[in-house]
Amino acid sequence: MPEIRNYTLNFGPQHPAAHGVLRLVLEMDGEVIVRSDPHIGLLHRATEKLAETKPYNQCLPYMDRLDYVSMMCNEHAYSLAVEKLLGIEAPVRAQYIRTMFDEITRILNHLMWIGTHALDVGAMTMFLYAFREREDLMDCYEAVSGARLHAAYYRPGGVYRDLPDVMPRVENNRFRSAAEVDRLNSNRGGSLLDFIEDFTQRFPTYVDEYETLLTDNRIWKQRTVGIAEVTAERAMALGFTGPMLRGSGVEWDLRKKQPYAAYDKVDFDIPVGVNGDCYDRYLVRMEEMRQSNRIICQCVTWLRENSGPVMIDNHKFAAPSRKAMKEEMEGLIHHFKFFSEGYCTPPGEVYAAVEAPKGEFGVYAVSDGANKPYRLKLRAPGFAHIAAMDEMTKGHMLADVVAVIGTMDVVFGEIDR
Amino acid sequence: MTDELVTIEVDGRELKAKPGTMLIDVTDAAGINIPRFCYHKKLSVSANCRMCLVEVEKVPKPLPACCTPVNEGMKVSTRSPMALGAQKGTMEFLLINHPLDCPICDQGGECELQDVAVGYGSDVSRYSEAKRVVPQRDIGPLIATDFTRCIHCTRCVRFGAEIAGVRELGATGRGEHMTIGTFVEKSVDSEMSGNVIDLCPVGSLTAKPSRYKARAWELTQHDSVAPHDSVGSNIHVHTRNNRVVRVHPKENESINEIWLSDRDRFSYEGLNSEDRLTQPMVRKNGEWQEVEWQEALEFAVKGLQSAAGSDGDQLATLVSANSTLEELYLAQKLTRGMDSGNIDHRLRQSDFRLDGNDSPVPGLGITIQGIESLDAALLVGSNVRKEQPIIAHRLRKAAKSGAKVSFINPLWIDLHFEADQFVSTPAVMVDNLASIAKAASAKLTGNLAKLVKAAEVSETAKSVAEQLKSANNGVIMLGNQAAAHPDYSLLVVLASAIAEATNTSLSYIPALSNSVGAALAGALPHRGPAASLVEKCGANAQMMQSKPRKAYLLMGAEPGFDFWDPSLINSALDQAECVVALTAYHSESLASCADVMLPIAGFAETSGTLVNAEGTWQSFNGLVKPQGDARPAWKVLRVLGNLLDIDGFDQNSSDDVLEELKSHAAETAIDNSVSTKTAGELNSSTEGLYRIGDVPMYASDALVRRASSLQRTNSAEPAAVRLSANQAKSSDVEEEETLVVVQDGNRAQLPLIIDPRVPDGAVWISSALPGTEKLGGQFGVVTLEKA
Amino acid sequence: MTVFKNYIKSLFLLELLKGLRLTGRYFFAKKFTVQYPEERAPMSPRFRGLHAQRRYDNGEERCIACKLCEATCPALAITIDVEAREDGSRRTSRYDIDLFKCIFCGFCQESCPVDAIVETRVYEYAFEKRGENIMTKDKLLAVGDEHESQISADIAAQAKYR
Repeated sequence: MPEIRNYTLNFGPQHPAAHGVLRLVLEMDGEVIVRSDPHIGLLHRATEKLAETKPYNQCLPYMDRLDYVSMMCNEHAYSLAVEKLLGIEAPVRAQYIRTMFDEITRILNHLMWIGTHALDVGAMTMFLYAFREREDLMDCYEAVSGARLHAAYYRPGGVYRDLPDVMPRVENNRFRSAAEVDRLNSNRGGSLLDFIEDFTQRFPTYVDEYETLLTDNRIWKQRTVGIAEVTAERAMALGFTGPMLRGSGVEWDLRKKQPYAAYDKVDFDIPVGVNGDCYDRYLVRMEEMRQSNRIICQCVTWLRENSGPVMIDNHKFAAPSRKAMKEEMEGLIHHFKFFSEGYCTPPGEVYAAVEAPKGEFGVYAVSDGANKPYRLKLRAPGFAHIAAMDEMTKGHMLADVVAVIGTMDVVFGEIDR
Repeated sequence: MTDELVTIEVDGRELKAKPGTMLIDVTDAAGINIPRFCYHKKLSVSANCRMCLVEVEKVPKPLPACCTPVNEGMKVSTRSPMALGAQKGTMEFLLINHPLDCPICDQGGECELQDVAVGYGSDVSRYSEAKRVVPQRDIGPLIATDFTRCIHCTRCVRFGAEIAGVRELGATGRGEHMTIGTFVEKSVDSEMSGNVIDLCPVGSLTAKPSRYKARAWELTQHDSVAPHDSVGSNIHVHTRNNRVVRVHPKENESINEIWLSDRDRFSYEGLNSEDRLTQPMVRKNGEWQEVEWQEALEFAVKGLQSAAGSDGDQLATLVSANSTLEELYLAQKLTRGMDSGNIDHRLRQSDFRLDGNDSPVPGLGITIQGIESLDAALLVGSNVRKEQPIIAHRLRKAAKSGAKVSFINPLWIDLHFEADQFVSTPAVMVDNLASIAKAASAKLTGNLAKLVKAAEVSETAKSVAEQLKSANNGVIMLGNQAAAHPDYSLLVVLASAIAEATNTSLSYIPALSNSVGAALAGALPHRGPAASLVEKCGANAQMMQSKPRKAYLLMGAEPGFDFWDPSLINSALDQAECVVALTAYHSESLASCADVMLPIAGFAETSGTLVNAEGTWQSFNGLVKPQGDARPAWKVLRVLGNLLDIDGFDQNSSDDVLEELKSHAAETAIDNSVSTKTAGELNSSTEGLYRIGDVPMYASDALVRRASSLQRTNSAEPAAVRLSANQAKSSDVEEEETLVVVQDGNRAQLPLIIDPRVPDGAVWISSALPGTEKLGGQFGVVTLEKA
Repeated sequence: MTVFKNYIKSLFLLELLKGLRLTGRYFFAKKFTVQYPEERAPMSPRFRGLHAQRRYDNGEERCIACKLCEATCPALAITIDVEAREDGSRRTSRYDIDLFKCIFCGFCQESCPVDAIVETRVYEYAFEKRGENIMTKDKLLAVGDEHESQISADIAAQAKYR
């Protein structure tokens, strides 16, 4: 009679469904998970430690690389923290731009999530469709910042540059007829805001399409309904935030509870789930995309009607304009000192958090009065979520692990930091 | 003045201060920052920049903190709207004429104007008119200037007038037309001129040798000790990419205050000289070959053993007193371990008749800071200003506060303070001192008693003796030219007797950075570690040369440039079987006579300890890696000791060596006592033309001789024959003529310069310069021939 | 009734058929795939690609070796050595960008007071040998010379936002 033993299975870190470099050590009783033990740290880059060696302004690009699917939200939290330390506030136009791009980022993130989540669970098409829309949003990123992913667009004190008046256009080429190029350029004739508005008009239809493919799909439902149910109490106890918490029915959203940027000036609703399973979290995120779309529309309207500075005019904390730098002694000195030494913050400690697409992304900064943080702690939502891996997968089948990883929307940039 | 303190309130903080103190001194002491440009704690107050304006209660206008004395109950706010407004306004005016130079300005990143502009100024400009431009001026190879950047704080001008004692820079014009400059287009190169670089708050005066080399933020700052004069100035060495980029003074009130001599500041350039020896070299069949360390060391050991293995007396060790304490200690240990007593660091001394009765540890005997409180000083054979700029600066302070300073010198020297100079040929110097001894009724015996008796007491001698006698705090100092004097022993005994008779103290101004350390380490033929007399007295530097030995070990010394008599050492080395040279540089003068050259680490490359003139031990770390295959000299000596099978060479670090020496010499203090009242016969003569050979400021050691910027200054004059106009006439030679100097049969062709500083009967030919490296002793009879 | 409706929906695979109809429609629709490399996606003038060093019209290099880019580079990718050129002007004797370290944040371009270092639209570059990741001054100037018209057009287009 052979001895009956649990089987230990190594999942990842090279597994395509492991979303990067997650390594799970799964203890299996046949096909059933007895215990799952996430191993993290393979993408550790010591961002927090690195921040201690860099002036405040230089650290910003590293924030992009934390949760590398919701870049600007990370920048937002960092900028808010530094602004809080300095006691400054970004101009209102910058607040609206930040709100708009936070929501664009949320859509970007959720598209990435739905694409990969569905792909992991078996729906190939979703991935292609999601990336089609992402392409448009990436263009928005590129139009404002010059980079499609690591934007470095938000800065303490505002945003780097105002929104461009012109969108880059598709050039004629031998693969497309002139008519087709014109069609592709139809939404690129105006400013970035026109382009975004066009997107917001198209986007609800796209979400409908995703829902057509998934919401009622029996396979999708079989793979998600009742999987990894978390009660509201447990979700709170586990430190869940964002859709993971709202999926369990807790109405908690920093955009409403402690509004930052222009969130108190725009209308939107917070979707919540009922059962706290993968399917509810899916529904919550789908609705969030629609709500984000709504916020973007409002921001576009406001930004069209109101112009103004996008960066504070205190050049102790923000580089002066090129003209001032070229023509004025004050400007040049401030430019020089800004880029060589940065600025010193008053001693103290602050915590600033934003509702990132994955949950509460927070930056806790301690300043000793120098030009670089004494300590920078990053609160990544994914870290708390992945800690619940064992609880969420226990008793489920091996294949459900993939669904759970998907529903958590883990990104290792932020978890490993 | 009363001792009572007044209470003032600054920004709500209660501070106590002596009445009459300037407000800015009080706030500085309390750590309250007030912006300033013209104010500097070491300079007089000029109150012309107006940056330090603060609000004082009940005063309608803001007052400059640098010239507002505190008084009881004063309420000051440095950050009130009025003060901030005043500071902002001042800043705006200062920036009006400042050029947009930051990106190309060397000061960028460490500029006080930038810092204060960001801290206190406005961030936008309201000025759009044209800016002024000041024409460029070249003021020499050490200081780069751009007076367009000048904000007229006049710190440099005040430094020249108050500290350096040379008004090199001045302000001309008024208002917008005011410019800083040398009145006549000439270079600024007094021995301390580099300090204006530190003082200048903007980029007007920057260091030329390190120009464009690095931004302040790229540099790593290390503490170290300056390696040239015996002051041991504390310095910050700034390095980038394993290279020394520049040297700044480190504040140490008891040694160098905040100043640094140019030699200490710019000599680092010699570290990166092309002359650096980076690979051990061995002479095989007359050809120099680069070899590995192992081979070179074995070659050296074999050479030393075959030449001096059986007879220790055949080994002669000559070391430079610029070596560290550890190196000197190991060198004497190695020499004595080879059963030889022949070790000496006094390479520039020719008269050793006093050995045994000499001062055990000759040094200042007073503190460097203590020089300031002297009432009277008699300096014998010292060009203190060029040799020891910081000591000269302290002497100047003493003179300014009333001390009487006199010199007995073979040459007139340029001084920056009031002093009496008695200039005569070397032989007469002894008579001059004897006449002071007579005036002071000093007690002497034997020869010297006769000499003193025969001396005529002049009025000047009387007055000097009187000054010394009436001083509470007087000193007689012996300088470099006294040490090199052929009658050094006479000068020492006379000086010591005068000191005794006048109740002043005898003081030596050691020449090199570790001269005192060399005595402590035992690098002397008659004294071991801690300056204790040894049983078996070895040969002194002079004897080692005049009676050639078979094996020589040289450390840090170049035959043609670091010895009293280059011709003598050269002939001694030529006759030797084996010459092992530990050297940081590959030089002609070494290559011609050495058999092995072992590359050693230079300044800033090795850890070690230097003992300065007042006897302070100052240790430092190696800051950059030695160039090429060079190794710290203490390591080389340690390995040589191992290979020669000598006991006690097991140290693992320079600290171990230091500990070992400390166990002997930690308690040994400066001891200037002289235990005799007589000395031998007069060596120097008044017959013929007598050579006076000083060591120019920028030729004092191998490092500074290779510091290219210093060598381009006016102070680094090429070798020449200098005669007074009278003497030139009687010798029938004319200015700018090229003459052949003949000394002890050695000949050198040098140009003639008429120099009023030379006494009649003497000829001034500096040593340690190219052109004189084949001549004879620093002092001696020469003849001049027409070329 | 709902149960019955759901049963029918389920039995006849209605939701799957709906999905198939959607995908089928896209199957016959115009493709939106970009035919790279012949065809390129539109590119913003703010694009941050490969670095270049620029020259003035008279051929003089712009860089004055102020080292601000080196100081502000978060990734420490830039290494500059400075020397006075023969005419006394402050110039770089070495200007290296390590593309392995570079994070393309664009701070060098922002900090440059003379618009000397810029990030171009070039994003197609690959290394075949060790050491090619270092963009030396010569390489940077060559990139700048090649793309100068595009670079100056982009800078002009962005002038009002900076």
